[in-house]
Amino acid sequence: MREITYLEAVREAMSQEMRQNEDVFILGEDIGVYGGAFGVTRGMIEEFGPERVRNTPISEAAIAGAAVGSALTGMRPILELQFSDFITIAMDQIVNQAAKIRYMYGGKGKIPMVVRTPSGSGTGAAAQHSQSLEAWLAHIPGLKVIQPSTAYDAKGLLKSAMDDNNPVIFYEHKLLYRTIADVPEELYCIPLGQADVKREGTDVTVVATAVMVHRALEAAEELAKEGISVEVVDPRTLVPLDTETIINSVKKTGRVVVVHEAVKRGGYGGEIASMIAESEAFDYLDAPIKRLGGALSPVPYNPELEKAHAPQVNDIILATKQAMNKA
Amino acid sequence: MAKEVFMPKLSSTMSIGTLLQWFKEVGDYVEVGEPLFEIMTDKINIEVESYEEGTLLKKYAKVDEDVPVNAVIGYIGEKGEEVPEQPPVYSKEDVEDTGLETMSEKEELKNDQNLLKQGKIRATPAAKRVAAEHNIELSSIQGTGPEGRIQEQDVRDSFDQKRVLSTPLAGKIAMENNLDIGAIAGTGSRGKIVKSDVLTHMNIKESVDTVPEIWKLSGLRKVIAQKMTESVQTIPHVTLTSEVDMSNAVSLRRALLPTIEQQTGYRLSYTEIIMKAVSYALRLHPRLNASLVENEIIMNHDIHIGLAVALDDALIVPSVKQADTKGLAELTKTSKMLGEKARNNQLSPEEMSGSTFTISNLGMYAIDGFTPIINPPETAILGVGRIMDKPVIVNGEVAVRPMMVTSLSFDHRAIDGAPAAAFLTELKSLLEDPYRWLV
Repeated sequence: MREITYLEAVREAMSQEMRQNEDVFILGEDIGVYGGAFGVTRGMIEEFGPERVRNTPISEAAIAGAAVGSALTGMRPILELQFSDFITIAMDQIVNQAAKIRYMYGGKGKIPMVVRTPSGSGTGAAAQHSQSLEAWLAHIPGLKVIQPSTAYDAKGLLKSAMDDNNPVIFYEHKLLYRTIADVPEELYCIPLGQADVKREGTDVTVVATAVMVHRALEAAEELAKEGISVEVVDPRTLVPLDTETIINSVKKTGRVVVVHEAVKRGGYGGEIASMIAESEAFDYLDAPIKRLGGALSPVPYNPELEKAHAPQVNDIILATKQAMNKA
Repeated sequence: MAKEVFMPKLSSTMSIGTLLQWFKEVGDYVEVGEPLFEIMTDKINIEVESYEEGTLLKKYAKVDEDVPVNAVIGYIGEKGEEVPEQPPVYSKEDVEDTGLETMSEKEELKNDQNLLKQGKIRATPAAKRVAAEHNIELSSIQGTGPEGRIQEQDVRDSFDQKRVLSTPLAGKIAMENNLDIGAIAGTGSRGKIVKSDVLTHMNIKESVDTVPEIWKLSGLRKVIAQKMTESVQTIPHVTLTSEVDMSNAVSLRRALLPTIEQQTGYRLSYTEIIMKAVSYALRLHPRLNASLVENEIIMNHDIHIGLAVALDDALIVPSVKQADTKGLAELTKTSKMLGEKARNNQLSPEEMSGSTFTISNLGMYAIDGFTPIINPPETAILGVGRIMDKPVIVNGEVAVRPMMVTSLSFDHRAIDGAPAAAFLTELKSLLEDPYRWLV
């Protein structure tokens, strides 16, 4: 199969969909000739023209509002927010409009829009450009939240997001843009709400999202040398959440570490941990559920401190050993 | 006001600390947190830091002194402050209320009690599920997880062991009494352990307690331990044994018993007869009455016979002074009175010291010979076994005679085998022919 980057996979999904569906268009800051902050839309304005690849003023509220309005008229907008931190400015449109309208009007109107936005730390972008705020959005009924971790998942999940008749928040982790994976050339769907077991194991389940999937896999490789068999589960979509895959994995291993980059307090890991504790997997737990998340501070600019802020491979190894009572 | 310096209680088993050294002299200025003295507990050597700031005014405890915990061993205060000449004696309750360690220990105790009160078993959900599936009592399982938490694997491991079925009441009684319910034989259906099984087990257990009772060497026991170790480690012991025909000694005792009893009120025993013979023999073999002290052999002129007296868990050796000058009546009186005093813990230091040769008589037990340990700085010790009728050859005929084994341990540094053997031979002949004493 052909290998492409995560970034190319996102672009390819959008381009292929736009070729077959005239209602789909993208809007955002500098996404035209410049190709967006990370170059995801590079070359698209040349193919689809300025009407379907629309440069906007620097106003996330306006971008989101325009998207909601156009979606209500039947268009299927994809909006790009340069950094997911800026979603706070678009929050009113997303939370109070996009998430609510379909419910409030009894299904007479729908908002088929995708908010694509880069998240996460590790690029030296400092406190206002490095956050992982997915838990904020996951809290709002009416929104779907996706965190693809590989190029393959990104293309398949974006296709499903574009097909969905509800607002979908599509998080692209900055550190993953350059990662490479086998990706089919044709368009394909990965259903929302289907977790992926990225590595099978028997001793400990590590539920990891986004870039943490890769760190968990690296940790699993190390732990395998010590005879600890780690199963890595990537939920891929936070809303809807594939509880069944997680529960089955925990029932198998009896131990679970939940790891995400977002600040631990109030992070989505708490939701996953609670879900496990409430489920039938409870009776299979042989160790307290362990959560790893970002430190309780803004993301530091200093590269060493920035690394220390987010869980690293060694943190996952340690937490896994603690769950195994072998630390 | 001057503050007391206490012997800290550093562990739950610590009752006494041995002062190893003071880091400060009287008059030295001490800051909070500065090492003040070093102690040895039953577990560790540790430097103790000062809780107070000021001048060290008084040191009560000397180096190598054993001090009970929470006892005052010194004072810190303003220069020139008056402090008592003798360490103050506190009632136990006062002592309990002083010192940080004591407080934290109280807390500890409280926590322990809380834990006991809860009586909850720490087990993971998985361990509980598997235990329930297999009808296993969690209380019978030893947890290996953090804080003793029972993990699933612990339950699975217990499958290999005997499966324990018990009634909840039996389990509760067993737990309250700290019994391993797995060790109890069940008489209920399918071998289920019922209340009466636990009670039966407890009755047996009283005699064979699996948990050893432990107490620390202290007082006399400690002194004995040190002395014995020192003796066997420094003295090359050789033990000679010889069997003595006691026929004449038996007759002698029988003849003198009423007389001496009438005269002293005490019954003459073989110990005194042997003591008399020993002191007679020592006169003839003075090297056995010598003391070896630091490369010098001291030829003791006086013969003071030490007499090993067994107490409850202790051994004490009062000495019968000038034994060779005393007649059997006086020896009997002296020995018996010393024995009584020893048992009543009334011996004066004078009465406990100065012996030049020791006799250890185990003749009241079924003991023939043994290897007594020398009581330093003495040269030798005589072990006395029981008198027993035995077939012996007398003039080519088998005769039954009361025989007794004597065991002489001697210090080979001070004397060689031949003179020691000569002494024991002398003693044998003196006991077999007591009329010789009259010569």
